[in-house]
Amino acid sequence: MIDFGYSLTSSSRISLDNINQKKLKKITAVEPDFLKCMACGSCAASCSAGNFTKVNLRMVILLLNRGMEKEAIALIEGCMLCGKCTLVCPRGINTRNLIINILKIYKEV
Amino acid sequence: MNKQVLVIGGGPAGLEAAGQLENLGYKAYIVEKSDKLGGHLLKWDRLFPESISAAETLQKLLEPVGHITTFLDCTVVSVSKTGEHFSVQLSNDATLNVSAIIVSAGFSLFPAEKKEEYGYNIYNRVITSADLEDFFKTGSDSRIQNPKSVGFVHCVGSRDEKACNRQCSKVCCITAVKQACEIKEQYPDADIYCFYMDLRMYGRGYEDLYLEAQSKYGIRFIRGRVSEVAEDETGKLVIKAEDTLSSKPLKITLDLLVLMVGMIKNADNENLSSLLNTRLGDDGFFQSASPILRSTEGEIAGIFFAGASTGPKTLPESINEAKASALAIHGYLSKQK
Amino acid sequence: MPATLFKTFKDIIADCLIHVQIFKKNILLGYMHFSIAFGWFMLILVGHIEVMIYTPQRNGVLYYPVFFRYFVMETHETLRGSFFFFLMDLSLLLVLTGIGLAIYKRFHSRILGMRRTTKLRLGDKIALYSLWAIFPLRLLAESFTANISGGSFLTISINHLLNAFVTNPDHILPVWWGYSWALGLFLFALPFSRYMHIPTEILLIVLRNAGIKSSVSRDGYAESEIYSCSRCGICIDACPMTSKKRNIKFSSVYFIRLLRRRSTESLATADKCLMCNKCVDACPVGIDSTRLKLLKRQEMHVRSRTDYEYLQSIENKIDATDSVLYYAGCMTHLTPAIYKSLFKILKSANIKYTFLDIDGSICCGRPLFMSGDKESAKELINKNRELIRSSGCKTLILSCPICYKFFKEEYKLDGIDIVHHSVYINNLLTSGNIKLHKGIGSFVFHDPCELGRGSGIYNEPRELLSAIGIVKEASQEKNLSICCGGSLGSLTLSFSEREQIAKSSLNSLLTNNPDKLITACPLCLKSFSTYNTIPTRDIAQIVSENLI
Repeated sequence: MIDFGYSLTSSSRISLDNINQKKLKKITAVEPDFLKCMACGSCAASCSAGNFTKVNLRMVILLLNRGMEKEAIALIEGCMLCGKCTLVCPRGINTRNLIINILKIYKEV
Repeated sequence: MNKQVLVIGGGPAGLEAAGQLENLGYKAYIVEKSDKLGGHLLKWDRLFPESISAAETLQKLLEPVGHITTFLDCTVVSVSKTGEHFSVQLSNDATLNVSAIIVSAGFSLFPAEKKEEYGYNIYNRVITSADLEDFFKTGSDSRIQNPKSVGFVHCVGSRDEKACNRQCSKVCCITAVKQACEIKEQYPDADIYCFYMDLRMYGRGYEDLYLEAQSKYGIRFIRGRVSEVAEDETGKLVIKAEDTLSSKPLKITLDLLVLMVGMIKNADNENLSSLLNTRLGDDGFFQSASPILRSTEGEIAGIFFAGASTGPKTLPESINEAKASALAIHGYLSKQK
Repeated sequence: MPATLFKTFKDIIADCLIHVQIFKKNILLGYMHFSIAFGWFMLILVGHIEVMIYTPQRNGVLYYPVFFRYFVMETHETLRGSFFFFLMDLSLLLVLTGIGLAIYKRFHSRILGMRRTTKLRLGDKIALYSLWAIFPLRLLAESFTANISGGSFLTISINHLLNAFVTNPDHILPVWWGYSWALGLFLFALPFSRYMHIPTEILLIVLRNAGIKSSVSRDGYAESEIYSCSRCGICIDACPMTSKKRNIKFSSVYFIRLLRRRSTESLATADKCLMCNKCVDACPVGIDSTRLKLLKRQEMHVRSRTDYEYLQSIENKIDATDSVLYYAGCMTHLTPAIYKSLFKILKSANIKYTFLDIDGSICCGRPLFMSGDKESAKELINKNRELIRSSGCKTLILSCPICYKFFKEEYKLDGIDIVHHSVYINNLLTSGNIKLHKGIGSFVFHDPCELGRGSGIYNEPRELLSAIGIVKEASQEKNLSICCGGSLGSLTLSFSEREQIAKSSLNSLLTNNPDKLITACPLCLKSFSTYNTIPTRDIAQIVSENLI
């Protein structure tokens, strides 16, 4: 399709066509646990930073998988890397390494 | 001469299998490690989805078993197989010579105190689904004092690597819905919340009960796994979870918290499997010869399975499997001279 | 200053010549290092003395003492001669026994207390084999010439023996060449090998005693640490990760080698490390490899820092002027039994307490610090410090050793007594504020890394436990305690790898069949209770259960 620089689709719709697959592959390579999330929300519920801000790792993972990178990064700002989420995650996701690498890969654009 | 079959475990599956084997003309022996037949059914009040009485169900399972030789407070000490015969030594010094063995050793309930953050045995108002069932049965539990708000935590010790239990326990979702309705019946003023990760309403009548829980009893379902429980000054419980559907952390103060403890392997499965020379899966449950066509048979000829010894199952599944196992034994023994 | 100089001199003698640290680990291993280092040192020293006495005109000629007996025709019959010749032979014998042990160790390291030794690279191999060759060749060469140049009990006796087979003096020369080549080859390979530690360690001791610390992973001090690593491999056995063979490559010895080679792979190793400090404790050279790894992380994990602006809006609502202040930290919120038990104990001792972070914590900052983000950690420190200061407390109790270590070392809360709950409860016991029921139950105490090796607290928890029951020993405890696997130090260790570590630590703890496993850290409690076959309890729990 020709790109006229504007589109008729609603901007609020998630577009799975435009996901940055390269970055997703990169994050999966450095922390394969990225693929393990089952969206239970334990991380967000126990989050020390989430007590004061919008930090929500579950949403970050979801949003990155939906290609909404900016929105995702906004929800990781303020993380104190305390590791509580690692402890409560029922899938044993290595959350701290995941967070460090999400910031590395997605924040410095 | 009647051929003899040993049934290890006198829970619903073992009882049903023993009854069926007797009907087919075999002599069954039941070995039960506790002092009563009935297994976990003994502790339950009513059964999902139609609230059938557990006691009556057990009564019916026990009827044909009246004349079957049962060994209570008894375990298997050694097993040796010569040709097609098993010689089984029991802990009461009896020796049985049998042609086949059914492993219907069942499951254990996840010890809720292992999930420390939920505060079982730490806070007075945290109980397990088994405790609640006992309350329904006996009508008394000092921890349940006319609660105005009750929470149910699904998947406690199930689907949890940290609890060393990856599998879904199958029965807790529907049990939680059943118990939520029941507690609402007892305490109509109470607000009831179910915290779930996924609601697995796969069986016949389950979805109906779920619907009833919503529309008739007003149970509220919150999609989020409880992460920690604290106590306020008055002894009430403060529960933290994420409401994943609104993407917001959630806090609620409750009078009672019920932990839906999952089904886990028996601690002595390892010992039993080495005695029988069978294999356990990674989850610690027994491994059958083939998961689809020979799910009730062991890899070694003459060893059969029934019920939750091969993984979490609902009661009707266990009963049906016991029947299937008895039939498989019949097929196996008929071929022998 | 003279004290520092004296200490430096003492350290050099103790660590470089005698190898006291290695003796402490294993007598045979210590002897091996001592005999080679001290013996060789004596050969050099006495060799120079010989030159000064017998051939003063050659004094200062570098090669002269090394090949003294090749050049000099001296008889051992002179009194002075016989003494020095005896000393030289004795030293050579000392070195040879060490070399013998070293060769034996290559094949059976277990006898010398080492399960695993370091895998060698080419430079190491050349240096190692030439080192092995130097002294037997020297013995042979000096024995050959013993009837010409003089000798003592060793060389003379061998000379007599050799004369029975070799009569042609021309055969003497190749052995001297061999000795010379082996020595030359060793010295040539030295900078490319692990033996660089021989000269560097002296420098390291001087720098360390001068109070110098490194601020990047390749500055002068770090460099001297890197080159001082003898790759003895003692840290391989010490590392909790190496219970899995494929993780051996992540032990400190290989990290330092990667650092020395400026390999980019060093970051992955640094990230994997639990930072339990067991290798640092075991290192005979005293290399702080954990700090090197931390520096590496600081350099490599430069990220656009996240925004901690929100911390500013958090206000203090706590007044603790007439009570002790308690800070649970993030992890203890997941183990409510710890603070609930602690509060019960405080109540029974009539001590007023205030719970600082009852509604959730601002992390202490150590996890961020250990991840390499020092600057962000500072923001958390500042906010927490402000909250604690404004509460007006005099005593701050912490139940998480990670927080405890960080508060102690980085928070600068002068005037406020920072205490770990295990110590605080023990003080209550010794001062008679609480009384405990002594039973017959037995306990094993797991030393959390940050409390034991990290903060040097080993005795108080054990004292406390011995007031309740019998304290049994673990196969590796106190400074040798094995991490529970839950450490926040590691960034990349997976859940299953952590499981492996927890299980191997449990193995050590349950050696003497205790009834209960007691620890004093919420993380250790969680890690162990997942896999433990006996009950796991925090020290506060077991005390509160036994209050009278």
